[in-house]
Amino acid sequence: MLAELHEILSPQRVLTDDASLAHYGRDWTRSYEVAPSAIVFPESAEEVASLVKWARATATALVPSGGRTGLSGGAVASNGEVVVSFERMNRILDFDAADGVVSVQAGVITQALQDFAQEKGLYYPVDFASSGSSHIGGNIATNAGGIKVIRYGLTRDWVAGLTVVTGAGEILKLNHALVKNATGYDLRHLFVGSEGTLGFVVEAQIQLTPAPAEQQVMVLGIERFTDIVAVLDHFKKTLPLSAFEFFSELALSYVTSHRDLPRPLQQPTAFYALLEFDEDRLDDASAAFEGCVEAGWVVDGVLSNSRAQSASLWQLREGISESIAPKTPYKNDVSVRIGDMESFIDETNALVTSAYPDFDVCWYGHIGDGNLHINILKPDSLASDVFHERCHEISPQIFAAVQKRDGSISAEHGVGLLKRDFLGFSRSDAERAAMAAIKTVFDPDGIMNPGKLLSE
Amino acid sequence: MKVLVPIKRVVDANVKVRVKPDNSGVDLNNVKMAVNPFCEIAIEEAVRLKEAGTASEVIAVAIGASVCAEQLRTCLALGADRAILIETDEDAQPLAIAKALAAIQEKESADLVIFGKQSIDADNSQTGQMFAALTGMAQATFASELTVADGKATVVREIDGGLQTIEVTLPAVVTTDLRLNEPRYASLPNIMKAKKKPMDTHSPADLGVDMAPTQEILSVEPPAERQAGITVESVDELVDKLRNEAKVIS
Repeated sequence: MLAELHEILSPQRVLTDDASLAHYGRDWTRSYEVAPSAIVFPESAEEVASLVKWARATATALVPSGGRTGLSGGAVASNGEVVVSFERMNRILDFDAADGVVSVQAGVITQALQDFAQEKGLYYPVDFASSGSSHIGGNIATNAGGIKVIRYGLTRDWVAGLTVVTGAGEILKLNHALVKNATGYDLRHLFVGSEGTLGFVVEAQIQLTPAPAEQQVMVLGIERFTDIVAVLDHFKKTLPLSAFEFFSELALSYVTSHRDLPRPLQQPTAFYALLEFDEDRLDDASAAFEGCVEAGWVVDGVLSNSRAQSASLWQLREGISESIAPKTPYKNDVSVRIGDMESFIDETNALVTSAYPDFDVCWYGHIGDGNLHINILKPDSLASDVFHERCHEISPQIFAAVQKRDGSISAEHGVGLLKRDFLGFSRSDAERAAMAAIKTVFDPDGIMNPGKLLSE
Repeated sequence: MKVLVPIKRVVDANVKVRVKPDNSGVDLNNVKMAVNPFCEIAIEEAVRLKEAGTASEVIAVAIGASVCAEQLRTCLALGADRAILIETDEDAQPLAIAKALAAIQEKESADLVIFGKQSIDADNSQTGQMFAALTGMAQATFASELTVADGKATVVREIDGGLQTIEVTLPAVVTTDLRLNEPRYASLPNIMKAKKKPMDTHSPADLGVDMAPTQEILSVEPPAERQAGITVESVDELVDKLRNEAKVIS
């Protein structure tokens, strides 16, 4: 195999040492066995196409690998696959000032794209905690969301054009950054969120947007979940919000002790909401705050005085995942309509605590998008494997609670390996059959990230 | 005990400053402004003294254009009781500022005046010291710890190579160093209340102070751009570059 790969790529771009296999063979999940047979580092679309043609000829499965920050095992290689790392495809290729469109290779780090936009006086609005490591290619393959969705939408909304290598080894250039293009099926959008199962994203044309006004951050203390929804509604009617996040007191207590941050409010409250908005709308935001206090929804709140304080307040939300990591949490990421959130939280809490009274559920998420991150924390006394086994027993019940509300079992983390067998809770039999049929069109030999999203 | 805290409106510390194309100064158009971080520490310290029952009143004072009222409102929200704005559109420089503040001190007779040790825009670190000289008050600069009791202030100062503890008799001037405290967030209920707190405005002429600048800025230049690093292929190449290009080894 090595000799064949060396015909496509120079030897230093094919790695088979144990450390590299372990490093590139997995994403942020830690529960899957990692066993790729080689890691390859192409530098162009043509090299990726050559690799796919070789994989077809040899019936070798390929797994795409970006910044490996995924949480659903979408980039895990555990069956002797060849991992295609996009690390060396990290060039920004071209910038069209007239359209505000930048062409990038798939391995450009999300933050590098954000920084590039800023240099041009523009803005790339998709942002999340792992943007310093994640690749734009991975963002597209998972249709990444994050913290600015309430105002700017998902990755999909910023993909103006896409170059992909399909499982047939063909290079497709899709949509060419056209705004209007009424010529039938928009194949670009099939590849966004396809998790590498149809083909690999090799280049993208990304639409940038004018830089936003200076932002202000507020953190509010709220005692009842139902009031968070009322506060969101009240603020949304008063001014445009760039973010509306929530986290529980349990989440706050972990992040403040882990990062040694001051608590935002003098007295703890059951929940906190973090809001971001344009600084020139501060008067409206203050009026909305007063309205919320008068209505009895909000107990207390703080406002950032400087960018440094805004960053500290954001850390309270963005540092949660890292701060609870030592508790090896069971993670789940679901969405329901905003009006269904409260009953869903109540049902989930009841499910978990009735089965395991010593399990804590740590809640946070993007309330403005109906997106909840469920983290069940492992009690110190319990072995990790026993804990995760017990959580996985609860999973179908949580998914049933999602299904009952016509929600999604994966809001923004994707399906990957983690949720593949539960896809039926969100997608009907007919839908899944259609997805499988689409896969065979682009990936006739089933070599593109097999076993992810859909069962083999 | 009355505490006076002079504060300055400056470019937010996290803004990447840009020099104006004609090199006449820093471009402040549409740039985020904030309370100078060291002044924020000064306000926090004063408010803590009040919360501890040591101080009875905290007064924030700023010199500059009318927009400085925004930063004074922030100080009121953080816990100052009232504010004074000395309004001027002149380019206020340290000596003139110190003179204007001395005129305020004449009226207020504060027992303690807490300055930030320097402002992050011009980095002069002069105003507190000049003010102390003009008023004849004792000064304890670069404080990382402040204790006030029995008409005296005990101050731990950050000095080259360590810490120095000194005692000064009140009334005294203290300038704050970074580690004195961590400023709080402004609470929204306090921001609302701050709107009703008093803010007096004076002109330099009222105080008998001439704000005309005595120094003229000839040109402002951005720092030279750092060159990108390179990757060397071998130790020999590294040694060669260190010896012959960087000339840091012989």
